[in-house]
Amino acid sequence: MLSLRALWASLIALSTLCAATSSSGSRVLVVLEPALAKDSFSTFFNGLEARGYDLTFRAPKEERPLLVEYDVPNYDHVIYFAPSTKSFASDLAPQSLLPLLQKKTNLLIALSPTLTPMTSFAAEFGLVLPPPETPLMSHFPSRKGPLDTLQIPLPADSSILTSGTAPILFKGINFAMSPNPMLFPIINAPPESFATDTIKDDEADILVESSLKGGEGLWAGSSMGVVAGFQTKSGARVAWVGSVDVFSDKFVNGKLADGQKAGNEVAAQDIAKWAFQESLVLRIDSVEHHRVGETEPRETYTINDKVVYTLTVSKFVSSTSKWEPYSGISDLQLEFTMLDPHIRTSLKPVKGQPGKYETTLRVPDRHGVFKFVVDHRRKGWTSLYTATTVPVVPPRHDEYPRFLSAAWPYYAGAISTSVGFILFSALWLGGAVGEKTKQKTQ
Amino acid sequence: MAPETVKNTASFIKIVALSVIAGAAIASRLFAVINFESIIHEFDPWFNYRATRVLASKGFYEFWNWFDPTAWYPLGRVVGGTIFPGLMATSGVIFNFLRAIHLPVDIRNVCVMLAPAFSGLTAWSTYMFTREMKDESAGLLAAILIGIAPGYISRSVAGSYDNEAIAIFLLMFTFYLWIKALKQGSAFFGTMAAIFYFYMVAAWGGYVFITNMIPLHALVLVLMGRYSSRLYVGYSSWYAVGTLASMQVPFVGFQPVTTSEHMAALGVFGLLQLVAFTELVRSHVSSKQFQTLLRTAAVTIGLLGFVAVVVLTMKGWIAPWTGRFYSLWDTGYAKKHIPIIASVSEHQPTAWPAFFADLHILIFIFPVGVLLCFQKLRDEHVFVIIYAIMASYFAGVMVRLMLTLTPVVCVAAAIAISTLLDTYIDPQEPESTEVAPTTTSEATGSSTAAPKEPKTKSKESKAPKTGLFGLDTRLAVIFNTFFLMLIFVLHCTWTTSHAYSSPSVVLASRAADGSSAVIDDFREAYYWLRQNTPKDAVVMSWWDYGYQIAGMADRPTLVDNNTWNNTHIATVGKAFASSEENAYPLLKKHDVSYVLVLLGSLIQYSGDDLNKFLWMIRIASGVWPDEVKETDFFTPRGEFRVDEHATKTMSESLMYKMSYYRFQELFGPGQAQDRVRNQKLPTVGPTLDYFDEAFTSENWIVRIYEVKPDDELGRDHKTANAYSAGKKRKKGRVARRRFALE
Repeated sequence: MLSLRALWASLIALSTLCAATSSSGSRVLVVLEPALAKDSFSTFFNGLEARGYDLTFRAPKEERPLLVEYDVPNYDHVIYFAPSTKSFASDLAPQSLLPLLQKKTNLLIALSPTLTPMTSFAAEFGLVLPPPETPLMSHFPSRKGPLDTLQIPLPADSSILTSGTAPILFKGINFAMSPNPMLFPIINAPPESFATDTIKDDEADILVESSLKGGEGLWAGSSMGVVAGFQTKSGARVAWVGSVDVFSDKFVNGKLADGQKAGNEVAAQDIAKWAFQESLVLRIDSVEHHRVGETEPRETYTINDKVVYTLTVSKFVSSTSKWEPYSGISDLQLEFTMLDPHIRTSLKPVKGQPGKYETTLRVPDRHGVFKFVVDHRRKGWTSLYTATTVPVVPPRHDEYPRFLSAAWPYYAGAISTSVGFILFSALWLGGAVGEKTKQKTQ
Repeated sequence: MAPETVKNTASFIKIVALSVIAGAAIASRLFAVINFESIIHEFDPWFNYRATRVLASKGFYEFWNWFDPTAWYPLGRVVGGTIFPGLMATSGVIFNFLRAIHLPVDIRNVCVMLAPAFSGLTAWSTYMFTREMKDESAGLLAAILIGIAPGYISRSVAGSYDNEAIAIFLLMFTFYLWIKALKQGSAFFGTMAAIFYFYMVAAWGGYVFITNMIPLHALVLVLMGRYSSRLYVGYSSWYAVGTLASMQVPFVGFQPVTTSEHMAALGVFGLLQLVAFTELVRSHVSSKQFQTLLRTAAVTIGLLGFVAVVVLTMKGWIAPWTGRFYSLWDTGYAKKHIPIIASVSEHQPTAWPAFFADLHILIFIFPVGVLLCFQKLRDEHVFVIIYAIMASYFAGVMVRLMLTLTPVVCVAAAIAISTLLDTYIDPQEPESTEVAPTTTSEATGSSTAAPKEPKTKSKESKAPKTGLFGLDTRLAVIFNTFFLMLIFVLHCTWTTSHAYSSPSVVLASRAADGSSAVIDDFREAYYWLRQNTPKDAVVMSWWDYGYQIAGMADRPTLVDNNTWNNTHIATVGKAFASSEENAYPLLKKHDVSYVLVLLGSLIQYSGDDLNKFLWMIRIASGVWPDEVKETDFFTPRGEFRVDEHATKTMSESLMYKMSYYRFQELFGPGQAQDRVRNQKLPTVGPTLDYFDEAFTSENWIVRIYEVKPDDELGRDHKTANAYSAGKKRKKGRVARRRFALE
């Protein structure tokens, strides 16, 4: 436990040294396809640099700088602004990104209606993209611009996006999402929007025809997403954005139908903040367990022991780049499992001790190798998982109660037999002497 | 010479002879150490060895309370309460004693040498036992026979550190003390018998044999009308002290008063009290009617007691016979109801050649000895007769019970041979001039002689009426006997060195040119596990290897040779019989990190997992009849095949895939051959999605696979591998779809 703390301490020191606002590092590789000018995203990139990120730019087919060297990633985050690139350099190809995710490198990937290697890569994350070249369009609200430039209101209850942000401008694709629990929508498509083969209204027949073909139906409605987040098992984050234009200066400075400025600048930074482990980042600082009335953990617990389990959780605060104790989780649960949970109880925050969650439980009347398991997964938040193995043993030979009231019949039996034996012996011996003397006298 | 000198010389020779016999017994058990090394053998001994190390390093109380979290993961095993601690305690005492006298011996060597050392004691106790039956010369003969009989050596070679190693000594010594107690009517010897009975209870589950043999003997004596106060004193003191003592062993606990196996002893104890009471009253009362009444009463009470036991059993107060017990009476029972017992090779019925291999000529002389016991039929001879009958039956039912038969065979054969030699060596000739009968005649005197000195009788009657004339007949028989004995010794030595001295952890093979090679795959694999995996990595294997993994690799196992939890074993069987994607969640649930399978296909090692696979399927289908079906693994023609005709279930099972994964690469295309099952394997071998091959030993006997962690993106591994291999994904189905005009 001590070494773990030391590790965390050094990590914290490291992160402050880097002066970045992310909890996992500040090196960002931007894969920018030549068709897109770096300057057209200046607001977004400047915003990132202002928050302390070091951006490195690289075209998809360039060989250098390498993303991974000697199995060690050179960058903590990768932005893929290459929505219509058909082939990548070998270390940037989607298949080589999977091992990268295991090393906790975060990705922000922009998609487009074009069929690219990223299309099949998205399928691995449970995203189901519409047929190629079918951009999203909507007639609502009525506006002057082209129909495939939508304005999408942001969800009010999102923990990732800043609340009160104006709707964003969007030009790209929507996608369906499989029920993979690691995947969740950040921004949904508007209810009236749909993917279309043509954006001209007088060619609507084509749309109806193609939607009936193959029984696929229309890719429409608010259950589709346009921005989705994915947290991998090891905690890396991937943000899938259906449009690269969301980040562009043109949209950032664009006007909505009601003349209001679009919310793209804030929303783009919010998405990047989430993807780069700035917001909603939690960690477990320490796990402690011990018997009630003791302070040190035991190697084994005896059945029916009363055990206190304490968990300390911190949250990363990007404004100060510091980890701070966090008591805001109200639904943390602790399981005490052996094959199946024997006990499932809530871990309540301790009043007056920020970051501490504690519960007291009675170890079940069952010996075996148990695990304290905390498995907290909430959409957007870092998943918290810890499993501590403790054997639960039966009482030692001298830990059983010495006298049982249920055993009184046995005690009585033993005592009466002993007394009877002594009396019998005494009588027998006495009787024998008497007989002998009788015989002698006779 | 003065009779005193003769006596002293005789006893000196006796001591020397016994020492030499013990030396021979120990020496013949050292083949295993000489041919291989000082290593613990087989499976169970590895657990005993591990337990002994705990006992030696942590002390008795820690051992008593030892909870092993690495066995039967995650259930754990309360070791202190589920073992017979006698063996470990014995080694612990010896180890500590040697340390106390400054002999720093490794605990492993104590364990390896324990069985040979105790075989010397067995020879001595058999001598004592047989001396009670006939005389000292028969005793010495019995000692040398038991010392080298392969039936006993098979379980007591150096390294065979199992309960039987000390149990046979305890068995014979308890029987000796019981005979002594019975003959003398001595409460002292009865109590001594009880103390050694307690030691036996603490050492081996086979103590039930004593628990039923002694009461049976007592019962038969009572039925023969041989009730005596000697029997009463001997039996009562043995039963009362022995039962109370045996209940102190935690593993036995209250069984002596609650299970059917022990009820016979209790019943005979009760019967003896009744008979004793009847005798007492009869000796005081003369009325004939009253005696009849008493007898009726005794019989009624006896019957009532029997009915009470039956009723209590029906009500569940007394545990009914266990499955293992039933399988002793009905050899087909285990196969039907408890496949886990039937799957053990040493629980199979004995083949006839095994009797000859284990006992050689003794098996033919044995009935003669029993017959001679019938001729005299003193109380102790009744014991040998009962023992012979019971043990013969049990040895026929189960291979492993050959062990309990061996001592009585040696005793009976020693009586027979000794009688034969007594007759033919005896230099006296009959005085009568009649033509002597050519058949062997009885040399000993009247059968009414006192039990203590049977030998002197023939000398009392100076000139017997019958006997042998001349030297030639004598020499012919004597030389023949010696010749047979010599053959017996040669046979024992050969069997011991060739059949019973293999540690089975290390295999020896002989190449075509006669050179021998050692196959050490097991230790290679176990040490790989020990050195390359995390300490808490759970290893799944079939239960046969559980103790070895725990002992040599020091890793937690799901199941081991202590087969107490059928469901857990069935779970492992189910995992092996299922397809990869069905087995994976099962393994994840049990935190399995590595899977170990055995494959003998390359070097014709027939004890591999595919040959045990049918038992795994049977055990699993006993618990999950709907999910695992034995018929799915047989071809339509009812064959168990592994080639291209193998059924789909078979070729998709985890066991099949793990056995043959990459096996084809060893051969040229289309040449892959399974040398154990003599079948040609399919050209394309199986693929694995959820497992990585972690280790394969030199001769491909042991194969270890690592269970992949959950996929980073939450996919199943089949899809993940397909993507990594660059295969195109089938278009994902969209969960919710909307039509334009809905």
